[in-house]
Amino acid sequence: MKLQKSFKLALNILLHSKLRSWLTILGIVIGVAAIVAIVSIGEGAQVSVQERLSGLGADLITISPGFDRASGGFRGGFGHGRRSETPSIESKNLTKRDIQAIKSIDGIKYIDGVISGSANIFYLAESSSGTINGVDPLAWRNIVTTELEAGRYLGPSDKNVIVIGNRIAESTFKQPLTLNRAVTIEDRLFKVVGILKEAGGFGGDDNRIFMPIDTARNILEDVGREKFDSIVVKVDNPGLVDTVLEQIEARLMISRHVSERNKDFSITSSKATQERIQDITQTFTIFLAAIAAVSLLVGAVGIANTMFTSVLEKTKEIGVMKAIGARNFDIMLIFLINSGMVGLVGGLLGIGLGSAISSVLPNLISGFGPGGQLKTVIPISLLIYALLISIIIGMVAGVIPAYRASKLKPVDALRYE
Amino acid sequence: MAKKQIIKLENVWKTYQMGEVEVNALKGVSLDINKGDFVAITGASGSGKSTMMNLVGCLDIPTKGSIFLDGKDISKVSESSLAQFRGQKIGFIFQQFNLIPTLNALENVMLPLEFQDIADDLARKKAMDILNLVDLGDRAGHLPSQLSGGQQQRVAIARSLANDPEVILADEPTGNLDSKTGSDVLKLLERLWKEEGKTIVMVTHDLKLASHAKRRIQLKDGQIVAGG
Repeated sequence: MKLQKSFKLALNILLHSKLRSWLTILGIVIGVAAIVAIVSIGEGAQVSVQERLSGLGADLITISPGFDRASGGFRGGFGHGRRSETPSIESKNLTKRDIQAIKSIDGIKYIDGVISGSANIFYLAESSSGTINGVDPLAWRNIVTTELEAGRYLGPSDKNVIVIGNRIAESTFKQPLTLNRAVTIEDRLFKVVGILKEAGGFGGDDNRIFMPIDTARNILEDVGREKFDSIVVKVDNPGLVDTVLEQIEARLMISRHVSERNKDFSITSSKATQERIQDITQTFTIFLAAIAAVSLLVGAVGIANTMFTSVLEKTKEIGVMKAIGARNFDIMLIFLINSGMVGLVGGLLGIGLGSAISSVLPNLISGFGPGGQLKTVIPISLLIYALLISIIIGMVAGVIPAYRASKLKPVDALRYE
Repeated sequence: MAKKQIIKLENVWKTYQMGEVEVNALKGVSLDINKGDFVAITGASGSGKSTMMNLVGCLDIPTKGSIFLDGKDISKVSESSLAQFRGQKIGFIFQQFNLIPTLNALENVMLPLEFQDIADDLARKKAMDILNLVDLGDRAGHLPSQLSGGQQQRVAIARSLANDPEVILADEPTGNLDSKTGSDVLKLLERLWKEEGKTIVMVTHDLKLASHAKRRIQLKDGQIVAGG
């Protein structure tokens, strides 16, 4: 029998199938829809993470004191140091010597030694605490990734002035903190000369206050002269990040007299951070999709079940077809294609439903994630895979029933009532 | 001149295992069916009639002995090639009509042609011609459920003729029909025998029906007792 005829007969069976078959298809529909919806949320998260992180600058490298083996994870030690970012002893702090050591590396454009810490801020009789970043004004204005909303960046001759993150300006105090206003930080008066745009997302500048490093040293108590909490390096172009990062690491290990084993600093690029966060969202998506896949599995069992019943119902017809010349292979193919079609129809309806859910979902769930909107993205490849998988599931589920149908003896099948 | 042999049974035994007991449904039956024969196989229920019908129709293989379909020993060919061969050589008419309920009359008649890989256009034309032959050309698009019993049986007869087989094997062809439509169907079979030169093998318990055949074979307890 020609393949197209087998398709026609299989389609005929599907079109005349009972409510039971449609319920079976529903099982696949739900499974596929769940996977499409979940993966689209995961993909959306990836995209928004990428968007937010790309604001951090793909050409930046950050060096911080202390070393954690699983970077980004637990930083060991209790009771050491005074701040969590500098977990260990003074001598491990970054110094001007470190900047000297890396200054001559090819590909480095700017180096900014930064100190940071929290301080109390008073504004119009209100008090709040914020993160102070002491920066080298010249380097910083070239490194900072958040644009200005108003005012200007720090200049080389600035002393008691600050540039503030968007959230500090907008929502930290009851009255918005605007340009040229004065705030008191640790008993000193500062003038706001610049307000940054909203950076959003992870590790952004929204909650930070930037001031010249020399001024910051007077405010933040526990930072020694010549010492830094971190060093930020900007390279000529993002493609150089990895090589420059390796060179910095090598130079610092020599200048600080440490080896791989007792390394006392860590060095990360925003590129690496991006990759790490993407890894996490990806793992999360795969995990959720795996759960949804279980429902597909249940759907597959449903198809197998219905196919068995269908073969049983059609036993006599199978006998007739064999009597009038159908080969075992013909029968096998008809039922296999039929179960594949069940998968196909389920898959089509499933990706339709899944796409609908994923387009409605962002409107139903707002404020998902830090200051963000839930975003869903449906890649075409996802739809194609979902469809292929459901067809394959249908056919795999149909293999045994179809094989059984093909092996029926015409005499027995004809006698079946 | 000897007539061409189409189906030959040689000392055929068929034994069924019923639990612990072995039942011999056929005991050493030999039979020749020649081209142009109109044979009725009769017998009471339990005489081995159905077994005989299955074996003559090459739907089953004997426990002992040989069956030749157009000179080929059917126990020596694979199941699938036997199916194909059977489709070419034998047309079946069943008591219950056994049309595929989800296919219309034309598609039912086309089905045996499709199993033989006949091109679609040709199969459609051929099937239509045969439907016209059984006076059902105007019902080609009807589903079996939209046809009367007599019409369904005529569609089944048309289907049995599709591959232009050597033999038409009819199993109680009028068993499910009233006497009027039953005799119409019988007349159609007789016409096919006379005018188209078809070989017809009819299995029935109805002696009146059998009396229309030119040759009557009577089975009793798995053996041919008359007409062999």
